[in-house]
Amino acid sequence: MRKAHKRVLALAAVAAMGLAACGGDSASTEDTTAPEETAVEETGADYGNLKVAVVYIGVPDDKGWTYQHEQGILQLESELGIEVKRVENVPEGDEAEATMEALAAEGYNLMFATSFGYGTPMARVAAKHPEGCFQWATGAKFLLTSEMGGEFATFDDIPANLGTYFGAAEEARYLSGIAAGKASASGKIGYVAAFPIPEVIRGINAFTLGAQSVNPDATVQVSWTKTWFDPTVEKEAAESLLDAGVDVLAQHQDTTAAGLAADARGAKWVGYNSDVSEAAPNAWLTAPTWNWGPFYVQTAKAVAGGTCPNEEYYGSMADGMVTLGSFGSSVDADTQALIAEKQAAIIDGSFAPFDGPVSDQDGKEVVAAGSRPELLDLLGMSYFVKGVIGSPQG
Amino acid sequence: MGIPVRITFEQRGDAPRRLSLLVPMGSVVAALVFGAVFLLATGYSPLDTYSNMLSGSFATSRGVTDTLALATVLICTGVAAAFAFQMNVYNIGGEGQLYLGLIGAAWAGISLGEHLPSLVMVPLVLAVGALSGAAWIFVPAWVRSRLGTSEIVSTLLLTYVGASLVEYVIYTPGSYFRNPNTPFPQGRLVAASAKLDPFGDSRLYPTIIVSVVVAVALAWVVRRTEYGYRIKVIADSPKAAQYAGISARRTTMSVMLVSGALAGLGGALLVVGPYGKIEPSIVNLGYGYAGIVIAALARNNLAAIVVSAVLFSGLRVGGEKLQITTDTPIHIGVMLQGAILLFALGGEAFRRYRIRIVRTGVAT
Repeated sequence: MRKAHKRVLALAAVAAMGLAACGGDSASTEDTTAPEETAVEETGADYGNLKVAVVYIGVPDDKGWTYQHEQGILQLESELGIEVKRVENVPEGDEAEATMEALAAEGYNLMFATSFGYGTPMARVAAKHPEGCFQWATGAKFLLTSEMGGEFATFDDIPANLGTYFGAAEEARYLSGIAAGKASASGKIGYVAAFPIPEVIRGINAFTLGAQSVNPDATVQVSWTKTWFDPTVEKEAAESLLDAGVDVLAQHQDTTAAGLAADARGAKWVGYNSDVSEAAPNAWLTAPTWNWGPFYVQTAKAVAGGTCPNEEYYGSMADGMVTLGSFGSSVDADTQALIAEKQAAIIDGSFAPFDGPVSDQDGKEVVAAGSRPELLDLLGMSYFVKGVIGSPQG
Repeated sequence: MGIPVRITFEQRGDAPRRLSLLVPMGSVVAALVFGAVFLLATGYSPLDTYSNMLSGSFATSRGVTDTLALATVLICTGVAAAFAFQMNVYNIGGEGQLYLGLIGAAWAGISLGEHLPSLVMVPLVLAVGALSGAAWIFVPAWVRSRLGTSEIVSTLLLTYVGASLVEYVIYTPGSYFRNPNTPFPQGRLVAASAKLDPFGDSRLYPTIIVSVVVAVALAWVVRRTEYGYRIKVIADSPKAAQYAGISARRTTMSVMLVSGALAGLGGALLVVGPYGKIEPSIVNLGYGYAGIVIAALARNNLAAIVVSAVLFSGLRVGGEKLQITTDTPIHIGVMLQGAILLFALGGEAFRRYRIRIVRTGVAT
């Protein structure tokens, strides 16, 4: 399904001007549902052998996780002049394998899968289709080994045509925490969170540390929804946090439901995934956002050139995969300047969100003063830092 | 001013046999026509859409194996629902019993170790899964048969508890069901001997044989044994059953336990088949709830469940693949599935009732 041909052309124009890393703003207003003739521009025969498909956990209109991937896919389409097949609302688990297998059978030779739960199905399909290239977002290949509960005997048995991609959202989480810490008069902040897995826990911790850097006694109360995408459940969780007295909400969810709930109560809101201040302009502070486009473009180009990138790509603010959204009107100039300063330090490497000392919920030191945890420790994070209210076990 | 005609529904004493074939077929045709109008109105070709749906589900070998793979578990949950429904006992908690079957089977598959051969291990794992499903319905069955408490409410509510239990055993660090080597919430694999291999490079497991045999065997039990006769008498007239000395209490209890065991078996089949562990995403798939629809489609006829489960699976698989082979959005596929099911169920009214337009005579 193609959303809007015009949108692609607009992005192509932007790309042609050399602004490769464009965000989603230019494309966010239209919503054309009528199917159109899809005239693929022949910009070069180089990509004729490339058939790209993306498997979405949700729908591109979610104004969140999937929407942001859609922006990256649109950039890929416009820069390479190809058309990408989207498959939407694919549930994680066994049935996803049927979908991916069908895609491979249709000749799609580069596939992106945008959720953690697609790992096993994608690896199975990758093993059966060595001619294809498979990319698993938010994944980690070692999880596919039998030692970790996967179905490949050793790491070397994992198909060589499988790569993973993700990024250090914790950097932007920390910065958004600064905005939240400044905005919270009561020092009580709420966080609507999907699943108790390291990715989410890491985000909550980085956000909390950022808030505490400007509001030392700030607490962050977590409400688990056990869903990535369910506006009703997200709204209920947000409201229960607001009932508990928080005056700022943050989220690790795919929709804007928490923002709408915050807006209705006059509270502030830190979003996630997309720069969607228009959803709740009064509540909006900022949001950690993603920019997947450059990765999609470079991967597609590599595959067209005959190589399947199979590393575990971990982007950051430095390479632009992780970004911070625009600021709401209530974020004052001093706060913005402070965040900009921290951002510069993160990008040049002089600062990282989990630089010690960091203590866990019980006050036990988990990162010593002056030290910086390894990436692998971050990827497996399963504790909450001091000041988080809730259980990291869901 | 009134309309001088009235539409009445007269119950047929015994639905004519020809209608039990004619009505479902007519319903499917009506649904396809309805869907075609909708497709045309939104600018898609009905012919292309239907032929693609068909090739994704029934007309290619990959489609057939994908459809049967899904039907494997749906036959179990369908039979679980129908077996209870035919006695007017409404176990709508097959979803929760399926979760418990998954957990029970995973426990057996992990803890009974590598020492047993597959031939012993797989039946054992399936048995433990079925027992776990039965255990999950034990309390609703007991209060229903003793106190007449609504099983609709109790079985449904226990489904939510079951979903929390699945999440608990996967998201709690140190949980027995969770892989101990990683902070990621991954299920722990069962022993290799508890796991079957799929047919060739398909996603279809030999567990489909178990499903079909169970459905057919149970259909035979209902039709040919004294136990089945008791169920029918109770369904038709509890008073007559009591007069005949049939214990409704005991039969209700056993029917509900068997129903729970069947749903639990569905979960166990996933463990020895594609999962090999607990997959927490099971709580989003609705296999147990689908069983209720499948039972309704088959009008609680246990042998017909096999057909309705395969049809339902084909719709789901074909609908999913529509996105791949055409530019049809997923919502169209889901809409078509819903329409076909709705028409098939609605057609039931024509089978059971004679519909008459009666003149009321005086138009005032």
